[in-house]
Amino acid sequence: MTVETSRRSFLKFVPLAAVFASIGGAAFRFLRPKLSAATDAWLDVASVSELTGPQPISRKIVAEQITGWAITTEDHNVFVLPAKNNQVVSAICPHEGCEVAWEQNTNRFSCPCHESYFAADGSRISGPARRGLDPLPARVQDGKLQVQYISKEQATRA
Amino acid sequence: MRDNSWLQTTTGLVIVLVAVQFLTGVLLAFYYVPSVDHAYTTVSYVEKVVSSGSWIRSLHHYGSQWLTVFVFVHVIRLFLDRAYALNRIQWIAAILLLGLVMAAGGTGYSLPWDARAFFSTRVAEGLMAGLPIAGGMARLWLLGGSDISPVTLSRFFALHVLVIPALIGFVVVWRLFRSQLAELFGPRDAIVGALVFVVLGLWALKHPAPLGPPVAEAGADYLPRPGAQFLWLYQSLKYIPGGLGSIVSVVLPGIVLAVLVALPWLKRQRLIAGSLLGLGVVLVVLMTTVSYLSDRRDPRTAQQFARQAAAEEAWRRQPFNPATITLAAGVTASGGAPEMYTKFCASCHGTQGQGAQQGPLKFPPLLDVPSKPRRSVDDIVALLKDPPAYGLQPPMRSFSGKLTEEQMREIAEWIVKLKR
Repeated sequence: MTVETSRRSFLKFVPLAAVFASIGGAAFRFLRPKLSAATDAWLDVASVSELTGPQPISRKIVAEQITGWAITTEDHNVFVLPAKNNQVVSAICPHEGCEVAWEQNTNRFSCPCHESYFAADGSRISGPARRGLDPLPARVQDGKLQVQYISKEQATRA
Repeated sequence: MRDNSWLQTTTGLVIVLVAVQFLTGVLLAFYYVPSVDHAYTTVSYVEKVVSSGSWIRSLHHYGSQWLTVFVFVHVIRLFLDRAYALNRIQWIAAILLLGLVMAAGGTGYSLPWDARAFFSTRVAEGLMAGLPIAGGMARLWLLGGSDISPVTLSRFFALHVLVIPALIGFVVVWRLFRSQLAELFGPRDAIVGALVFVVLGLWALKHPAPLGPPVAEAGADYLPRPGAQFLWLYQSLKYIPGGLGSIVSVVLPGIVLAVLVALPWLKRQRLIAGSLLGLGVVLVVLMTTVSYLSDRRDPRTAQQFARQAAAEEAWRRQPFNPATITLAAGVTASGGAPEMYTKFCASCHGTQGQGAQQGPLKFPPLLDVPSKPRRSVDDIVALLKDPPAYGLQPPMRSFSGKLTEEQMREIAEWIVKLKR
């Protein structure tokens, strides 16, 4: 390469690199993901008076999350575990995120996807899941059992 | 190696600006949603929340105007260089690019779905409808139906984001394959391109791209203006009687572009192209100046623009207002509107009680109502049964036959919790 052609390609490269670097830098900031903010609202699960009997009780809670440009309102299944002093656990399997179901005849939770099993107190029995069902922060207020919703991703980080 | 004088860098400049439009357009598409209920929200999100979002959008907005100007200058430079005779492909590619860049600007203007987008779509509709012979058909095809609707926005989106960029890509690739990129794009092109980009970048930092109010909130006195590259067309339409508008602003430019494309095969090239381009320059410069001056000289127009600018400035300072998306099956528990509210009330008072305006009708917001007299839960239930008893006028009607007492109470209990 002669000195002349290398000078020419340098003069060509530098201004173009400056243009694309400035757009590239802005693009990185522009595309950076925003973690969704869970609202810390306390959501009603059930009246304490309804919680009777030894079986886990399935409930739906409706949680709001601020995700990007929208507030998303979404259903989530939870279980109240009388076997563990009415602890509330998420129905999301801690393995790959399918929803577990309660099997009354075998007295355990089973995950339909990869056959993880959990006991009536939420602890892991067998299968690929590495931990028991995730408990949610709960409290009793005015005779009502309430929880805060925490997503699986957040529970894993914690 | 070609004789690369500074005056010939318009090629490189156009290449850099086209690249900037592609890059910023792709970035905007990462957030933009082409639906009538979310387009405005996502554009606001880019403007207010996303890092560098306002700059990227402003680059895209003003970049499209600058690109139009520089493609036009490029065409004039090629004319002076007699490219129509010496390098046909270069000439034809430049003319096609001019038409496509204008089309991209026209379709892109509709996408934010703010008030100015709505008016610009209306004008496009009118111009199509006025075309001779196939006008009615052209209008239906552009809108995707008999009226401006969600389908229309999808059409403009597909044209702006897929069809026109693909055509521009074809033209550019076709042009580049016929000559060595290295010959076409020298150091001077790179330097001029980068310099113009720096100026555009600084301009975009200082001037965010405009965004009008949402269509539903624009008052009857809202004054829309097209993008700078269309001001001449907008101003010309004022002097042309009704039906001729489409001929002058769509058919004539189409014929001019077609003649310029065909120029390499015509005789008297210099005379034809010279007079067409000369007339074009005179028309564009004259009409743009007249439009600019008349907007500033007329005190009422100037005042209205000042009001709109102030409203936009105030809007920029307000926090971003997110949309609400319900993925839940039966929402009544926490915060979501009761089902019956969504069914009967939301179409007028808004999904979150924010109120709305439809033409002359104002539907009041339902926020902070307990602070007003006679608006307890019991009052609201009674009001839903008998609005006139609470001093309300049609179109607010009684819901006695539609809702049960229990459903009214559910709605009332939800409404009193709404805060500004």
